[in-house]
Amino acid sequence: MSRILVTGMGAISAIGNSVAENRAALIEGKCGIGPLEGFPTRYGSLLPFGEIKLNNEVLKNKLQAHEPGLTRTTLLALHAFQEAVADAGLTHQQLHSFDTALVGASTVGGMCLTDELYQDANNKKNGSAYLSSYDCASVTLHLQERFAMNGIINTFNTACSSSANAILYGARLIKNGLAERAIVGGVDSLAKFTINGFNALHILSSQKCAPFDEHRSGLNLGEGAAFLVLEKEKSVPEKKAYAALSGYCNANDAFHASSLSDEGDGPYLAMKGALARAGILAADISFINAHGTGTENNDISESKAMLRLFEKMPAFASTKSNTGHTLGAAGAIEAVYSILNLANQEVYPSLNFREPIASTRLQPVQTYAKMPLQQVMSNSFGFGGNCTSLIFSSC
Amino acid sequence: MFYIHHTSCISAQQTFAGIDINTLQETVNNRLQVTEPIYEGIPSGILRRMGRAIRMGVGAALQVLKNNDAVVDGIIIGTANGGMEDCIKFLNQIIDYDEGMLTPTNFVQSTTNAIAAQIGLLSGNKAYNTTHVHRGLAFENALIDANMLLQEDRNAHYLVGGVDEISAYNYNIECLGGWYKKEPLAARDLYQSGTSGSLAGEGAALFFVNRNKTNARAAVTGIHILHTTGEGVVASQLQLFLDKYVPVGEQIDLLLSGDNGDIRLQKYYDACEHVLRHRTSVARFKHMMGEYPSVSAGALWLACYILKEQFLPVHMMKSTTLPSSYNRILIYNSYKGSQHSFMLVEKNEI
Repeated sequence: MSRILVTGMGAISAIGNSVAENRAALIEGKCGIGPLEGFPTRYGSLLPFGEIKLNNEVLKNKLQAHEPGLTRTTLLALHAFQEAVADAGLTHQQLHSFDTALVGASTVGGMCLTDELYQDANNKKNGSAYLSSYDCASVTLHLQERFAMNGIINTFNTACSSSANAILYGARLIKNGLAERAIVGGVDSLAKFTINGFNALHILSSQKCAPFDEHRSGLNLGEGAAFLVLEKEKSVPEKKAYAALSGYCNANDAFHASSLSDEGDGPYLAMKGALARAGILAADISFINAHGTGTENNDISESKAMLRLFEKMPAFASTKSNTGHTLGAAGAIEAVYSILNLANQEVYPSLNFREPIASTRLQPVQTYAKMPLQQVMSNSFGFGGNCTSLIFSSC
Repeated sequence: MFYIHHTSCISAQQTFAGIDINTLQETVNNRLQVTEPIYEGIPSGILRRMGRAIRMGVGAALQVLKNNDAVVDGIIIGTANGGMEDCIKFLNQIIDYDEGMLTPTNFVQSTTNAIAAQIGLLSGNKAYNTTHVHRGLAFENALIDANMLLQEDRNAHYLVGGVDEISAYNYNIECLGGWYKKEPLAARDLYQSGTSGSLAGEGAALFFVNRNKTNARAAVTGIHILHTTGEGVVASQLQLFLDKYVPVGEQIDLLLSGDNGDIRLQKYYDACEHVLRHRTSVARFKHMMGEYPSVSAGALWLACYILKEQFLPVHMMKSTTLPSSYNRILIYNSYKGSQHSFMLVEKNEI
């Protein structure tokens, strides 16, 4: 079977508006987490957020996207999508082609417009311009329509692993002959809805998150989008490629609606399954971009799962300390970061780490370093026990 | 291509316990709403916290799973909105209490993946678990996923289904968008209304699928999805679909049409009937199940039922002549005139 290559990438997050800006920020150890400025919420100054400092008007002008009903979520997706497509050099003809698939992912969709949705859901008269913009599919459907795409179009929502599932699904569409190439990724924007939801669960930290630290106190919500272009190696033998998507696995923790099991069964099965799919051993993994949200529950569960699987722990880090937790975008953004790890043979520091968790003693990478990397794993775990791991390999 | 072995459907009709699709259950306030059954196998403490969509999805899923000794290798759900009622309940609390201290139950229940997650949790299933949310093609994408998984592992078994609920809120949003009838309408008058909009519906239909032909209820031999607003494109894609999946010289006995009584969408259904050149009898189902994004799952359940029982209720018939037997059914559905799907369902052992 021909390998699935990543031939284009696009990303926007609190630490940069392009893949290049994101990489520069990761090298610097830049943190994009701070007070929220984009919309009023009671938590704007109480809690820190990974916010993209481009308002909707700026985004609309930059993207020349002035159609009515466009939400911030769609604008961020469009931003990353265009970068990825241009990076891969896909033509308009290829975008229209029946064998080009688009697989998106989001958890909040157009619900970033919390107040508008409130009005439209409860008032009997005068619907807003956003009536068909609230669901997760609205984002993908806008891209499909804007670029007149004719292939398989799909949208996932598996909570915080959504875009990791979009990525593995794109690879499977290609392997099964249902697409020649797939544009895959995900997006989420900050929303009163998710801010209040996560706050009600008491897992938002008032500090900048400290993944894998003994005294971690929760996660910070972020926003962003990323897309990858996946193509079959056999079809594009001459094309530049960043990495191959060699392993992936989706497994379920089947433990609790909003927390992971103590021993991390779901994470363990996802990582193990991804190794099996890639046909490599645990010892072959050179680096892990961990899910590492900074919550009490995730970090211990993920640590235990990693320790179960890896006899000798590979280097690992969590970029949530740079971007915040971008939910449905996290899997795709971190896939981009994992690919940057490989393509540049470098690792980026996890921020805010001071003291290892007493029971595991695991220490994430804390300084930028050049490092020979062959296989990088990226973890994404979500509510509902939805766990997905991806493995990217050097070309 | 794969086989359907067990099915389960909760809808506005009597499709769950004591199946009777011959007696048409009528609309209540223009909604074809589910009368929920007594759910077996869900602990009462958990049931109480579940929203309507999750209850329907889990209830229908457990019914399918109890028929099987085999542990499924994955749970694949298509739902556009999941627990919409909980979602807006939580949203209303945010606004009404000005972001005060809120309880997280509605938030956790509102995540779209909660249906598949709860099925996994209650059946202790740690395998593949995913949720397709691509609006009017959420269920079809779930089926495509299952089909690929069964290509990848020919010995596997999957639970796949489509679930969506009517909530007061999405009913309101769809009304504002002009997608539901403004005038009061009885289910049996849906296709004569001559107006825009349809009747609101909801339901859950779940299927146990694999590649084992023995004792299978039906086979799904083709699925195709497309995004277009052009009826000509729908027609030409249907022709390609038929050329690909229907053997030369053979025919489709029944078109199960997703006609929803919306005058604006009539052109798509007419285009498909035209492609079939009136050689195929036509039946309709949205006066039974109403319109909702994953209603094609309900249509697939009906197709399986018709193939097994060789029976079509009079109220479903559009054509005056009916085939002597039902062996091959084509389901065509359009969601809001921009998302379309074809599914070909065949009786096992044609």
